[in-house]
Amino acid sequence: MLVTRGWMLASLYLLSGWGVTPGAFADDAAAAQESVRTRFQSATVDQVPDFRRHVVPLFGRLGCNGRACHGSFQGRGGFRLSLFGYDFKADHAALLNEESPRVDVRVAGDSLILNKPTSTEDHEGGKRFERDSWQFHLLRRWIESGAEYVPKTVDRLRALEVTPSEILFSGSDEQTQLRAVAVWEDGTREDVTPLCRFKTNDDSIATVDGEGRVQAAGSGDTHVVVFYDNGVVPVPVIRPVSERVGDRYPTVATATPIDELVVAKLRKLGIVPSEISTDAEFLRRVHLDVTGTLPTVKEVESFLADPSSDKRSRKVDTLLERPAYAAWWTTQLCDFTGNNDQQLNNVLPNMKGKQNVASQVWFDWIFKRVADNAPYDELVAGLVTATSRRDGQSYREFCEEMSAALRGEDGKSMAALDSMPFYWSRRDFRTPEPRAINFAYAFLGIRIQCAQCHKHPFDEWSKQDFQQFTAIFRQPTSSNVNNLTQIARQRPQIKEDLEQIMKELQIDQSLRGGKLRKELANQLVAGKTIPFPEVFVNPRAGRGRRGKGRRKRKASPVVARILGGEQLDSNSHTDLRVPLMEWLRSSDNRYFARAFVNRVWASYFSVGIVDPPDDMSRANPPSNQALLDALAQGFHDNGFDMKWLHRAILNSQTYQRSWQPNETNARDERNFSRAILRRLPAEVAYDALVMATAADGAADSMKDDLEGRAIALAAASGRYANRNSASFALRVFGRSVRESNCDCDRANEPSLLQTVFLQNDREVLEMIDRREEGWLDQMAQTHQLKRPTPRFSQSETKQRRGLSRQIRKLQKQIKQQKQDGQEEQLAQAQRRLTALRTQMRRLNAAAAGDRSGPGIKKEIDALAVVNAAYLRTLSRHPTDEELARCQTYIRESEDTLNGVRGVLWALLNTKEFIVNH
Amino acid sequence: MPIHLTCDGVKRRDVLKVGAVGATGLSLANYLRWVEAGELSAAKAQSAIFINLQGGPSHLETFDLKPQAPSEFRGSFQAVPTNVTGIQISEHLPKLASCTDKFAIVRGVTHTLAAHRLGQEYINTGSRPLPALEYPGYGSVVTKELPAPIDLPPFVAIPNTNQRPGFLGVQYAPFSTGNTPKAGQRFGVRGISLGNGLTVGEVEKRGKLLSDLDTAFDRLEGNSQLLNGLDRFSRQAHAIITSRRSRDAFNIDRESPAFARPFGESPFGTSCLLAARLVESGVRFVTVTLGGWDTHQDNFTRLKEKLLPPLDTGLAALLGGLSQKGLLESTAVFVTGEFGRTPKINQKSAEGGRDHYPRCMFMLLAGGSIRGGQVVGQSDEKAAGPQGEGFSPDDVAATFYHNLGIDHTREYHSNTGRPISIVRNGTVIEPLFG
Repeated sequence: MLVTRGWMLASLYLLSGWGVTPGAFADDAAAAQESVRTRFQSATVDQVPDFRRHVVPLFGRLGCNGRACHGSFQGRGGFRLSLFGYDFKADHAALLNEESPRVDVRVAGDSLILNKPTSTEDHEGGKRFERDSWQFHLLRRWIESGAEYVPKTVDRLRALEVTPSEILFSGSDEQTQLRAVAVWEDGTREDVTPLCRFKTNDDSIATVDGEGRVQAAGSGDTHVVVFYDNGVVPVPVIRPVSERVGDRYPTVATATPIDELVVAKLRKLGIVPSEISTDAEFLRRVHLDVTGTLPTVKEVESFLADPSSDKRSRKVDTLLERPAYAAWWTTQLCDFTGNNDQQLNNVLPNMKGKQNVASQVWFDWIFKRVADNAPYDELVAGLVTATSRRDGQSYREFCEEMSAALRGEDGKSMAALDSMPFYWSRRDFRTPEPRAINFAYAFLGIRIQCAQCHKHPFDEWSKQDFQQFTAIFRQPTSSNVNNLTQIARQRPQIKEDLEQIMKELQIDQSLRGGKLRKELANQLVAGKTIPFPEVFVNPRAGRGRRGKGRRKRKASPVVARILGGEQLDSNSHTDLRVPLMEWLRSSDNRYFARAFVNRVWASYFSVGIVDPPDDMSRANPPSNQALLDALAQGFHDNGFDMKWLHRAILNSQTYQRSWQPNETNARDERNFSRAILRRLPAEVAYDALVMATAADGAADSMKDDLEGRAIALAAASGRYANRNSASFALRVFGRSVRESNCDCDRANEPSLLQTVFLQNDREVLEMIDRREEGWLDQMAQTHQLKRPTPRFSQSETKQRRGLSRQIRKLQKQIKQQKQDGQEEQLAQAQRRLTALRTQMRRLNAAAAGDRSGPGIKKEIDALAVVNAAYLRTLSRHPTDEELARCQTYIRESEDTLNGVRGVLWALLNTKEFIVNH
Repeated sequence: MPIHLTCDGVKRRDVLKVGAVGATGLSLANYLRWVEAGELSAAKAQSAIFINLQGGPSHLETFDLKPQAPSEFRGSFQAVPTNVTGIQISEHLPKLASCTDKFAIVRGVTHTLAAHRLGQEYINTGSRPLPALEYPGYGSVVTKELPAPIDLPPFVAIPNTNQRPGFLGVQYAPFSTGNTPKAGQRFGVRGISLGNGLTVGEVEKRGKLLSDLDTAFDRLEGNSQLLNGLDRFSRQAHAIITSRRSRDAFNIDRESPAFARPFGESPFGTSCLLAARLVESGVRFVTVTLGGWDTHQDNFTRLKEKLLPPLDTGLAALLGGLSQKGLLESTAVFVTGEFGRTPKINQKSAEGGRDHYPRCMFMLLAGGSIRGGQVVGQSDEKAAGPQGEGFSPDDVAATFYHNLGIDHTREYHSNTGRPISIVRNGTVIEPLFG
C-alpha cells in the first residue's frame, strides 16, 4: 500500500513538474516506486520498462556486459555490448543492428536476447534466467513496446540511496538485506535493488550475494559496494573483534582531534589501541619518517636524557626545519608529479659534466617551496598553470633570463622561477590523454585511465567524462630543443627573436638531437644567450578544428568539463588550466586536499586512510571517512600549510603509538590502532646504511648536509639506471621509477636481492670497512687495533676506476694511431700507458699488502663499543642480554676488530634496522 | 592486507605481497603447489636459456640464405649442407651445421619495429611494447611460474639483459653477473660470492650472532607478512651465500677441461658454458648476450671474422654440452636478435652493409619438446618478407612458453589492476613439436 502511494506521489510530481527536491523523501524509502521484480512478476504485465533505467542495468546484473562475455572488445558470438554498460547509444544500436539483430520487434518471442539467456537457443554463456521470470517479462515488454531508447534531456542519476547505510554485525550467523533506491534528476524514485550489482571488498569479513543479502563472515571491518547506473555506494560493514564494545570499551585518552576520530572507529570495532611508544622508538621513527635520516648517536642520547614533557613536539618542530625534511618530501612530490629524467632529456641543452639538468631544476624548484613551506596549492599551481614566459616577457628576454639562470649567474636560479613548466614538457606528456591521466593521479589521487576505453568499473566515470576532462588538456603546448624552429614557425611573435638568436650563435643549421643540445650547451657556457624550448598555451586548441582532406567541415569539439563538475568554455578562458586550478583549491573539491592528506598519512602509517593511496575511487572508500574529511578540511582551512598537516599528525597519539600489539589489535592494519612495521624506503635505507657505518663526525654532518644523500637525488627513471654508486642499491630497494602514474612505482616490498645485498654485497662490506670516515676504522684507531682492510678504500676505488678508464681510452687511441701511422703521437701515448699501468700496479700492491697480516686480539671496553654500535644502527641502548651476547662475541673473536665488525654487520642485518617501527 | 580491484570486477588480494612472501620467483601459490605435489609441471623443459643476439643479426648471412637471389641481395656467403638433409645454412657456421639436428630454425618471423630498443623490448617479452605498460621479460615470467631451489638465484643474466620484470615487480628481476667469465678462471657474482676475505665459517658465526640478536619483533611474527618475508629472505640469502652449490654453480673452472674446451675462450663461449652449468645446478632461467650485430657497414667481414665464429663455437658447444649431460630435454633454448637486416645490400662502405629490417628475421628454438633438425616457416625469394603470413615474435614466444609448460594466455594483473595475458597475441607453432 505504502509502496503504491509512493509511486503515485512520485508520478504526481513528475506530471506537475514541481521542482521538489526528492531529498525531502530521503528518509522515507517507501515513497519510491516498487521494484521491477514485483512489477514484472506476471506475464500479463503491461508496464513498459526504460532502456537506461532497467534494460542496461539488467544486462549488468546478469553479467552480459562483463569482460569475459559480450563486454569483451571483440564481443562474443557476434554481439558486443559496451564494457560495464553506460554507452547506451552503442548498446541500443548493437541490439537492433540490422545485420544480426538481437531483438525482433515484430515477433518479440523470436528475439535472441530472450531465447539465448533462457537457453531456448544455444548460449555459450549458459542459462541466465527462466522463461517465466521477471527478467524475461521485463525484456519482453521492452521489445514488445518497440525496443526504444529515448535519451532524455535531463536524465541523471542524482543519488543512489542505500539502506541500511551502515551494517553492524555481532555474530557470524547474521545477515541483512540491502535496499537501493535510485533518485533521478527528474525527481522520480524507484527501488532498484534487483537491478544493482553488489560486491564485497573483503570476503573474509562479509560476503554479499547477487540479491544484496550481506552475510557476516569474520570479525573486522570492510565495505559492501552497490552499483547501479553510474552510482557506486559503499556500505560499511563492521563486526567487532572483541567483547570490548560500547560500555565495556576502556577509557582511552584522546589528546588531539585525530585521536578522537580514530578511537571513535576503534570503539565500534572493539579494538583497544596500543600504548604510546617509548622515547627511543618515537625518536627513530620520527627521524626516519620526517627527514629520511637516522638520528645521530648524540641526538639519541640527548633525547633520551631530556626529562621535559614537551620534548616530542619540540623534536617535531626541529625536524620540520631541517633541509632533510624538505629533501625527502621533495623526492616524494617528484614521485607523484613524475619528475622522470628519461622523459626530460630534450628539454634543456646537454651541459657537460652535468647530468639530468632538467630533473635537477625540477627538484630544486620544489625543494625551495617545501623548505620555505609555501602553501601546497601554490606549489601545485606553479606546476599546473606553468608557462615558460611571464606575462609581457618577450621570447628574447625569456631566453636571456633562462641562460643566466642555467649558468648560475649571481642571484639567478631556476628555482626562483615563478612556475615549473617542465611538468608539461615531458616526452610522454605531449597529448591530452596522458596529461589527464597523470593529472588525476598526481593531484586527485584517482585512476581515471579505465574510463579511457569503458565505463569505470569502480567509480562514477564514463567514457564521456574522461573525454570531456581530457579536453581541458588540449591547450598547453610544449616545444623541445629539436622542434624549436618548427613550432616557432607558427608563432610569428617569437619567430623573429629566435632567428636573431640563432644568427648570433652561428650554429650549424643541420645539427639535431644530442649534437645540437651539446653545441647549445657550449655556447651557453661561453656566456651566450641560447634559445630555449617553452611551454605556452594555445587558446585556440580545442575550439574545434577543421577536418583533414576532403572532409573540410568543422568537426565539433568535445566540450571541456571538470571531472564531475562544470563545463569550461574555451572562449571565455584563454587558459583552461586557470579554472582547473581554481577548482582544485576550492573548498568543495572532493579530491585535491584529500589526496595529499591521504598520501602524507600513508607515508606515516604505511597504509592510507584510503589504501592504496592513489585509488580514491568510490568503490575503495576510506577506512575512516570522518578522519579523512576532518584532515582535508583542516588542511584547506589552514591555507594548505604542509607543516600544519605534518604537525597535526606527528603530535597525535595515534602516530606515537607503539608497534607492540595487544590482544585486540594484533591483526589490525587499517584502523591505526598501533604502529605498522614498514621497510625503509630505498633512499632512506641507503642513507641509513651510510650513516650507521660512518664515524661519529661524518654521521653528525649528515644531519644537515644533503651532499651525496640519496634522499636528495633529483633524477629517477626505470630504464638505463645511472651508474652512480648508489644506483644499484636504490634499484634493489625499489626507488620510484616515476613511470606509470602509480604510487606502486616505488616498491616497498622486501626481496631476496635486498637481503643478499645487505648480507654480502661488496658495497655494504666496503662501507663497513671504509677507511675514510668509517666507524669501524674509528674504533680500530681508538682501541689501537689493526685498522680495517678494505679491498679498496672509497677514494682508492675511485682512483682505480679513473685509472682504468684512462687506460682503456688510451688503448683505443693507440690502436687508432697505429692504423693511421701517427708515429710520434703513438710513442707518446705508449709512454703514458706504461706510466698509468705502473700506477695501477702500485695501487693494487698497496691494497694487497694491506690485507695481509694477522689481526690483533686484545681486551677492549666492549661495553662502550657495543653501546655505540646499537645507538648508530637501532637508535637505542642494548638490553643486558644483547650486551652480554655481543661482548662475548667480541671477546671470543681471534681478531678483536673482526668481532666488532661482526656485531655491526649483524645489527645492520636485523629486521629492526631495515624496518621503521 | 589491501585489496585491489581489477577492471573486470574480480577482486584480488595483493598478488605482489603474496609473491614477496614466497621469495624471488616463488609465489606462495606456486610454492604450496610445488610442496604439495612434489613436482613441478608436466612439460619436459624445466629451465631455459635465452640467447640475445643484440643488434639484429642478418638472416641472409646466417640461417636464411638465398643463393638464387640476385647478387645485390645474395651477398658473398655460400649456403652449405648440414647434417640434416635438405637444410642449408651459412658456410661460416660449420659447427652448427654439424649439429643442426639439435635445433629448429624458424624462418619468416616478422614484425614492424625497426628501432633497437623497441625491437629488443618486443623480442624479450613476446609482446609488442606499449607506452603505458611494461611487459615482463621471459625470465621474470618463468621465475614467477616455476619454483626454484632456495639456495640458488632463479634468474641469472650473463652479463646483463634487457629482460625486466615489468609490471610483475622487482622480486622477479634477474641476478646480473655484471661481467662474463674468463676461460679456466674462477668466477663470482655480485652478492653471491663471499666478499672481502670472508670465509664460510665467519659467515656462519655472524649468522648465529644475527639470529641471536634479531628478536625484537618476535611477538609479532606470524602476524606480519613483512617480517615473515624478511625472515624467509634472510634464511634464503644465507643459504645462497654459504651454499657450496651456488658458488660452484658460477665457478666454471670446476668444469672438466674436456667439457669446457669446445666452448672456446670467447666471452660468449664462456657465458654459454656458465649457462649450461647454472641450468645443471637448478637455475631456472639464464640469459646470455652476444652483441655487435648492427652491421650497417662491412657486413661480411664483421660477420665472418668477429661475429659468426664465437656464435658457431659457443652455441654448438652449448647444445652439444647440454645434450651430453642429458639436459637438452629439460632445457628450452631460444636464440634471437631484435630484427633481421635489409635484403638489399647498402653502399655505405666499400663492401656494403645491411640495415635494420624487422619484416623478415629468423629465430632458433631447441631443447625440451622441440623437434630439432627442421625448418618451420619460410621467407620469400629475396628474404624480404615471409612467404605467406609468417610468424610474429608473439607466436614464437607462445611456443617458447608452451615448451616450458607455461600457459601463455594466463592473465596477470598490472600494478593498476589491469588484466594482461603473458603474451598478448601469440599462437603456439605446433609443427615445432612434431
